[in-house]
Amino acid sequence: MTLSRRTFALGASAAAIAACTPAEQASAENFVNVYSARHYDSDRMMYEAFTAATGVEVRVLPAPGEQLLERLRAEGDATEADLIVAADAGNLWRVQDAGLLQPVNTEALSNNVPARLHDTDGNWWGFSKRARVIVYRKDAVQAAEVASLDDLASARFRGQVVCRSSTAVYNLSLLSSRIERLGAENARAWAAGVRANFARDPQGSDTDQLKAVAAGEAQVCISNHYYLARLMKSEDPADRAVADKLAISFPDQAGSGTHVNISGGGVSAYAKRKDRAIQLLEYLVSDAGQNILAPSNVEYPIRPQIAAAPELVALGTFKEEDIPLSALGRHQAEAAAIYEGAGWR
Amino acid sequence: MALTAARGVDGVAIAAAVATLICAAPAMAVIGFALAPNESANLDGALLRDGIIGTLALMLVGGVGAIAVGAISAWLVSLCDFPGRRWFEWLLVLPLAAPSYVLAYSYASFTWAGGVSPIPVSGFWGVAFIYAVGLYPYVYLAGRAAFASQSACALEAARTLGAKPMALFTRVAAPLARPAIAAGGALVLMEIAADYGAAQHFGVTTLSTAIFRAWYAHANPHAALQISAVLLIAALVFLIIERRARGRAAYAGGSTRWRTLPRYKLNSVAGVGAALFCAALITFGAALPLAWLARLALLHARLGDIAGPFVNSLTLSAIGAAVTLTLALAIASFARRAGRLGKGALFAAGIGYAAPGAVIALGALTLFGLAREAGWVGGLGAGLALTALIWTYAARFTAAGAGPIDSGLARLSKNLDSSARTLGAGPITRTLRIDLPIAAPSLAAAALILFVEILKELPATLVLRPFDFDTLAVIAYAYASDERLLQAAAPALLIFVAGLAPVLILTRGIGRARAGAQ
Repeated sequence: MTLSRRTFALGASAAAIAACTPAEQASAENFVNVYSARHYDSDRMMYEAFTAATGVEVRVLPAPGEQLLERLRAEGDATEADLIVAADAGNLWRVQDAGLLQPVNTEALSNNVPARLHDTDGNWWGFSKRARVIVYRKDAVQAAEVASLDDLASARFRGQVVCRSSTAVYNLSLLSSRIERLGAENARAWAAGVRANFARDPQGSDTDQLKAVAAGEAQVCISNHYYLARLMKSEDPADRAVADKLAISFPDQAGSGTHVNISGGGVSAYAKRKDRAIQLLEYLVSDAGQNILAPSNVEYPIRPQIAAAPELVALGTFKEEDIPLSALGRHQAEAAAIYEGAGWR
Repeated sequence: MALTAARGVDGVAIAAAVATLICAAPAMAVIGFALAPNESANLDGALLRDGIIGTLALMLVGGVGAIAVGAISAWLVSLCDFPGRRWFEWLLVLPLAAPSYVLAYSYASFTWAGGVSPIPVSGFWGVAFIYAVGLYPYVYLAGRAAFASQSACALEAARTLGAKPMALFTRVAAPLARPAIAAGGALVLMEIAADYGAAQHFGVTTLSTAIFRAWYAHANPHAALQISAVLLIAALVFLIIERRARGRAAYAGGSTRWRTLPRYKLNSVAGVGAALFCAALITFGAALPLAWLARLALLHARLGDIAGPFVNSLTLSAIGAAVTLTLALAIASFARRAGRLGKGALFAAGIGYAAPGAVIALGALTLFGLAREAGWVGGLGAGLALTALIWTYAARFTAAGAGPIDSGLARLSKNLDSSARTLGAGPITRTLRIDLPIAAPSLAAAALILFVEILKELPATLVLRPFDFDTLAVIAYAYASDERLLQAAAPALLIFVAGLAPVLILTRGIGRARAGAQ
């Protein structure tokens, strides 16, 4: 009896594995495979609209960017990935640096994506923007006191700053932009200054930092802009109460401008369906794609002529930092070392 | 007879050798690649040091906490009588179904920043607390099984000699249950070593978080492999120590006379204290965080997208548990008869349990990459991806399955084995016709533990699954990592619900296993 149970288990597993394969063949040949580090509903809506417009089915494998990279590495030229989508230019650069992207250049892409928001060789192209901003508690801080990221390192905010871990790619790219503009020494001094002002060791997510500031555990934090926008329109009244206490400063308007990063995609170096990958990429930056993305997600559209979500319109316009995002990748490891040297967790 | 033995040894030994190879390969690959010279990347000493300190400190506080409350609660419900005991007996196992990362996200959400608790569950003490209240069921289950099967005579004798409950516990019952508690405690400590989500979210540097820091932030995969190797080798040493400690105590409490244990009736104050103690464990380990998730899930009730991942989770966990159980059984059967070599196989197959799932997945991916370069396999299509995923589960969780099986087999009398041998039965026959039926309850327990472990597993599933194949853990993580706990709540809650049934069956099974109980 025990033997048959065991045989059954083996048989069942083989059957289940086999049962999962036909789905792959069933969809005939008209599909494109996306490895994505983004898992937003807005992306799924864009893919569905793309399928409706072109008849090409989009099959997605969402996973954290770093882990997708390891899988791509192991798969090499045997990979099924056609398009690789990630948040943050730092992540896209890593995939590029591993030789897993191929340059593409089409008129539709270069017309729609501003030059500094894509790789100079065309390895990756941005399709939405996010700003790394300062969020402060309205009743404790004047807007003028947080006009620049430098303010976070000043004695005014001793014990009043909270932030997520330095290993988060958003923080790495933020410091990379500083290294690119002002050099490593300046970056080191800034990281040490902010570290000295921490109310606590970095922990939790950007949203957790916003809540800590609203609750009075600190006065200011660094966050991506859309986390506050999400709290503003949350279904949880407690979240909206948090948002009510907070305000955004787009830092460095008088100087270099606010650090802006992208979500973007690149064609896999070993894409089996390269044409369809390019077609999908072009769709993401087209009017149709951008008009789906902008209202449903609280990121900024890549193109100035597309209207942003109402929550973002309410925040007003701002000046963006003007460095090519392809520069960020080079400084990632150095940024990590600087943060650690300064004692950021 | 020599011929029979030779033929039989081949069967079980070969099966065990193959199983060990399958289970140990990814971990061994990680150690191998870490030791290989690499001029570009050296291990960051400070990172390693902080990781070791963090992991050891968490084991010391969270791990010892879990072991203590697990052992005490097992003792209370097994051998004492107090208000609500019957309820607590099965409720105490509930936290087993909740993954540490789900507890971490939930506690962060309702105790941080103006949350309901005056003391936030955060930082080092927060993680230690989560481990203590979330992992104690491993010890509780093992301890309960051990207390339940203890000789009534030893306890009766001690009571006749005037031993008070406390002395009964510390001087008689606890020492007798030590091997089982040590086994459960080993699982707890290895879970702590392997945990990534909770430590990362609460900003505590451990060996696990150091691996990812080196790997991603420093873009230094080789240093990450080296830290992984340190973690794996430490686990190996730790396993050997645990085995030794257990081995010496293996024959304690060998009475074969059974009858229902008379429970010690606690007086009213002690009884209320015991009830409060058990209630607190259930509240902090399961009820409170899950009630919070339920509230969030109700705020955002869109269950349509969860059906597919739910079915995927159950299917994958069932297949993964069946395969892992088969491999674990082959190794444990062999280990029982093969002395040192067999123990070696158990160690080798078991070290993956202490490694973060992503590290084992990395090992599997690397081996896959080598096989691909050698032209043996193609890309990770659906079939191959699922196979690699199940392989990774086996590599990661064999220890969780082999432990209970091993304890079950350890109860078999050597005489039985010798008799079968005299009658001409070879090892395969003996395994199938003697070991399996007798160890069936332990096998069932192992299967259920494996099912729940795989259901909760996250990183390996994230990296190795095929296109359009999400599990509950994957979508819960996707939303939670994107800081949308509202949307993550429903799938997280469902992981718990899906894990609940096996966990409850498990508790019932142990209650029934009590010899002499009707």
